[in-house]
Amino acid sequence: MTAENAPQAMYRTKEGLGVWEHRGKVAAVGVGHSPTARRWDERPETSVGAWSILALRRAIEDAGVSPDQVDGLVIVPVTTTGAFWPDDKPLPIEAINAFNQTSDPLDGIAKLSDEWLLKNMPELTNIKYSAYGPVCMSNALNVASQAVGDGLTHTCLVLKAWHNLEGRYYQGGKNAANSTDGTSAIKNIWGAPASYGTALQFAEYCRKYGKTHDMMAPFMSNSRRNGLMFPEGYWAQHRPEELTSEDYQLARWIAKPANLFDNDIPITVAAAYLFTTAERAKDMKQKPVYIMNHASSETKPRSMTPTLDEVEADTARTGRMIYEGAGITADDLSFENMYDGFTLFHQFHLEGLGYRGIKFGEALDFYQGDITIEGPNPVSPSGGNIGSGRSRFWMHTDCIQQLQGRAGPRQVTGVKPEIAVSGGPMPLGGNYTVWSATPD
Amino acid sequence: MDMVRTVRKKGFLTGSCSDRPMSTQRAIWNQHGIEFDFVCYKHMLPELKKNFDADIYCHVGDRDDLDRKYALRAGFEFLWPDEAVENDWFSSAL
Repeated sequence: MTAENAPQAMYRTKEGLGVWEHRGKVAAVGVGHSPTARRWDERPETSVGAWSILALRRAIEDAGVSPDQVDGLVIVPVTTTGAFWPDDKPLPIEAINAFNQTSDPLDGIAKLSDEWLLKNMPELTNIKYSAYGPVCMSNALNVASQAVGDGLTHTCLVLKAWHNLEGRYYQGGKNAANSTDGTSAIKNIWGAPASYGTALQFAEYCRKYGKTHDMMAPFMSNSRRNGLMFPEGYWAQHRPEELTSEDYQLARWIAKPANLFDNDIPITVAAAYLFTTAERAKDMKQKPVYIMNHASSETKPRSMTPTLDEVEADTARTGRMIYEGAGITADDLSFENMYDGFTLFHQFHLEGLGYRGIKFGEALDFYQGDITIEGPNPVSPSGGNIGSGRSRFWMHTDCIQQLQGRAGPRQVTGVKPEIAVSGGPMPLGGNYTVWSATPD
Repeated sequence: MDMVRTVRKKGFLTGSCSDRPMSTQRAIWNQHGIEFDFVCYKHMLPELKKNFDADIYCHVGDRDDLDRKYALRAGFEFLWPDEAVENDWFSSAL
């Protein structure tokens, strides 16, 4: 079985589509995570393939189903955005040979196909539907939600995995090439840090609304605090370090006004979820978390990087799509788990949602209030990438665990966890999911 | 850590300069029961130098781009870890 990218028709990208036809009829039940590591140590058992298998098996076990009940697999085939196996580096033969291979020797090492997974998970004997959700777990979740709703699969595993190699992130691949085409020639070859576009937007945001970078500090400390209560995360597992206002505000610039801590730390990790129909979910081991809607932004910027005006217009449009399809309003959100890697665009997502009634230009003031999990206005209870490392999926795991009531010390207590939203990555070009503790 | 303890006994001013949060740097020193004169981030080395009157300013680090570059630019001498181990400063015999 060789999967392809899910067709565009599966994504909900327009306003005016009405309530999602499968609202409350699809549910997430099982969650499975691998351990985390800063970089791959080149042992077979810690490869991105091995940890993907581990995460998938844990999700199956967590849901309390048998592997032969699983009939769908939606994965993200790309396992990095900035750590590429160098052309002149010998292949890790021991790790490659430890698994059943595909025609690509780096499959399971620096990328991942459904073919590789199925060759190495013989217990998955009944996969009838397989598709790729490009780039992020956020995308794959949209595909899985629609696939289950459409009846293409009734018990579907969703997987995103990340590898990270030795060396500096974003300094290999296209960035190390002598030539490339399109806007990459300017964006990559000339070495602008990945966060430069967000930094430009944030600088304009501060100018427009009279805000400062220092005002981000409460959000940063809160995110790290939440991350340190996420036992699946990198910082909790390896470096249980708080991040104080002083720590954050004095850090060196990477792309001013984005500093070191505004950039998430690349890690190796995998996570999987088990999606199913609301009907089947009733008989599974964990409390179902119902999908109320999924929405996607396909907006393309007019130039190399979106302007603040474009960002604000699109996050507002995304917010409207999210609410319309779910049949809810901003007042219904118990909490939000929008993406944060880079930190300086989290407030764009927040303002687009109108979370707790905040308008454009008000999020940094909102951060100065109580945004903790104990308060009435939880912001990023997952801690996001800042709290647990670069995965782009902590926010989804957290939504599921919060609504199931098993987020442990991270469990929100200032609000009743009923409806949540998560998604990303970028303000333009993201995928979003609305989660609910009940189907209606 | 033993190397730091050794030079402190000789009257050296010591601390840390890292990308790790400064609160973490302080916690590490405290965890090992070692007094420190400063903690800072790498880009703060020039300011640090102004705050201390010393005969020699030296940074020990293991990264060319993030340690050596910043140290030399700030007017510090620089030692790789293997060079530091061989340096008389860190010898308990002297």
